Amino acid sequence: MKNFSLGVQFHRLPVETYVVAFTVVLWIILTFTAPNFLTADNIANMMRSVSFSGIIAIGVLCTIIIAGIDLSVGSVAAFCGVIVAQLLSHGYGIPLSVFLTMCVGILVGAMNAAGVGKLGIPAFVVTLAGLRVYRGFALLAAGGMTVGGLPPEIKDFARGSVLGIPNLFLTMIVVAIVIHYVLTYTRTGRYLYAIGSNKEAAQRQGIPVFRMTMVAYVLSAALATLAGILLVSRLSVASPSMADGYELQAIAASVVGGASLFGGRGTVLGAVAGAILFTTMSNAAVLLNIESFWEMVMEGLLIALVVYLDNLQKKRLSGL
Amino acid sequence: MFRKITLAASVATMALMAAPQAQAEDSIAVIVKATTSEYWQIVFKGAEAAGKVLGVKVEELGTPKDDAAGQIAVLEAAAGKKPAAIVISPTVAEALGDPIAAVTKAGIPVIMIDSGAKTDQFASFLTTDNVAGGKAAADAMAACIKERTGKVAGKVAFITAMAGHESLDSRDKGFKDGVAAYPDLKLLGNRVANNEEAEGTSLTADMLTKDSDLAGIFADNAQMGTGSGASIAEKKLGAKLCLVAFDADKGEVEHLNDGSIYALILQDPYMMGYAGVFDGYAASKGVRLPKNVDTGVGAVTKANMSDPKYAGLMDPTKYKTAPFTGN
Repeated sequence: MKNFSLGVQFHRLPVETYVVAFTVVLWIILTFTAPNFLTADNIANMMRSVSFSGIIAIGVLCTIIIAGIDLSVGSVAAFCGVIVAQLLSHGYGIPLSVFLTMCVGILVGAMNAAGVGKLGIPAFVVTLAGLRVYRGFALLAAGGMTVGGLPPEIKDFARGSVLGIPNLFLTMIVVAIVIHYVLTYTRTGRYLYAIGSNKEAAQRQGIPVFRMTMVAYVLSAALATLAGILLVSRLSVASPSMADGYELQAIAASVVGGASLFGGRGTVLGAVAGAILFTTMSNAAVLLNIESFWEMVMEGLLIALVVYLDNLQKKRLSGL
Repeated sequence: MFRKITLAASVATMALMAAPQAQAEDSIAVIVKATTSEYWQIVFKGAEAAGKVLGVKVEELGTPKDDAAGQIAVLEAAAGKKPAAIVISPTVAEALGDPIAAVTKAGIPVIMIDSGAKTDQFASFLTTDNVAGGKAAADAMAACIKERTGKVAGKVAFITAMAGHESLDSRDKGFKDGVAAYPDLKLLGNRVANNEEAEGTSLTADMLTKDSDLAGIFADNAQMGTGSGASIAEKKLGAKLCLVAFDADKGEVEHLNDGSIYALILQDPYMMGYAGVFDGYAASKGVRLPKNVDTGVGAVTKANMSDPKYAGLMDPTKYKTAPFTGN
């Protein structure tokens, strides 16, 4: 099913061409070389793993589209994961705990946006500071320890599935559809791309740049928060060290999926496909017994290769 | 009015100074490898408890994450304040050797805990024998496989939390040596992670996809234990796969409880902090200490986890340092 919807996009949106092609080719190769690759169990494993990087990548994509960046997402996921675990372990109940945690996440996003949009500090710097600050808050909120003692229902969510599709993956699909809709079919989406393409022109046309900056960073932080809550559900504890380095995975997934770090370009499908590609690669490394260190090298080279091919195509298109 | 307060304050100060605790300025610096890790927070808790018993001020120092250069700076700054003693866990053995020797030369006794440094200029060294810990993991895994299948045979593998860490490498070496003692256990190899829990979860899932007949996995630290345990719990494989993990954070204890982890290899970080401060204080008063002290490792399983001797090792708030119960 995943394959099909990406296949449709293949013709319409050339941005994702390379990432989809790579993923499909890799799947075909793996089907023949790794005997256990195409099993329901392994596909469910990959679906569960990809949901975290996928959800975070979709959020970070929103900031990349307006020519920003969000380096704080990994730390925000850990911070909010710790908060939700603390609330749950103190008996606040799932709905209230999740609601309060989402509020904290949204507040974090609003502060990032204020730093970028009002104070005029570069997004890289604001969110780099956030990467440290929120990791510190995660440790403070957890007292440096792992937070456990959560109600069983929270663990059941990550372990459950509907019609064989893991709940975690379904959550990512819902997020992807909503954000895809916002970016593609709403005025907000068009504004975001316009700001990323040419901020001054957008401003002159009367696009509310600060409000849109707010939308992008709040989405990014809120989705990181959601990923943090899901991570707690999967690990059945919150650890202040979790989600370390997720920001770079998310940026890599978006960029491999066709997003431009200069803004104005990138799609949800590309980001999700990028996340799927990286998950497939780490799955393949284990199944084919490729050494972990080579896996890192290959992932790095892949980022460079895909973006290079993408740039070539972009040049060709603009030449026509 | 103001003069009255000043007077009262100076009288109070003088009274304090005249009080019998003349050595109130005695302080002991405890410098760990990574303040952001649960393990080192437990070391701090042990150190605080010792400080309270001894009536000395314990300064909790360290770098947020493993950072040898940063730790040298922290050590030098701490030594500059002339504490009664310094308790340190060197991040990199080579790099911290000379700085520790220099501190010793300046007349401040240094107690090393957990990991060593390349120098013989220290007062005492309290550590877990990580090789023995790895071996204990292999033995626990063998016992588990035997318990379930009647014989010690099958494929086993391990997860290394991160590359290039002396203590992790020692655990892995101990595990490999331990497995080699069982001729019918086949060691398939390892995966190296980036010390992030969810990565341990997906690695475990992928390793089980590759070799569905895997009999045992060893996770060599708390992060990997938590992550790996989550994967086994998710797949409900606790009764089939023998997962053994190092340390005992809340996630690991939870998975030990629900049967996803068969055994945890416990160290005694609380005692490292507690005894480290005591020893540092003793050394500052001229007591000669044994150079090397093994703080011990033990394997806890669901069957013996309620044994009171493990309670404090799994939950530092339950740690009891008294009364003396023997070794």
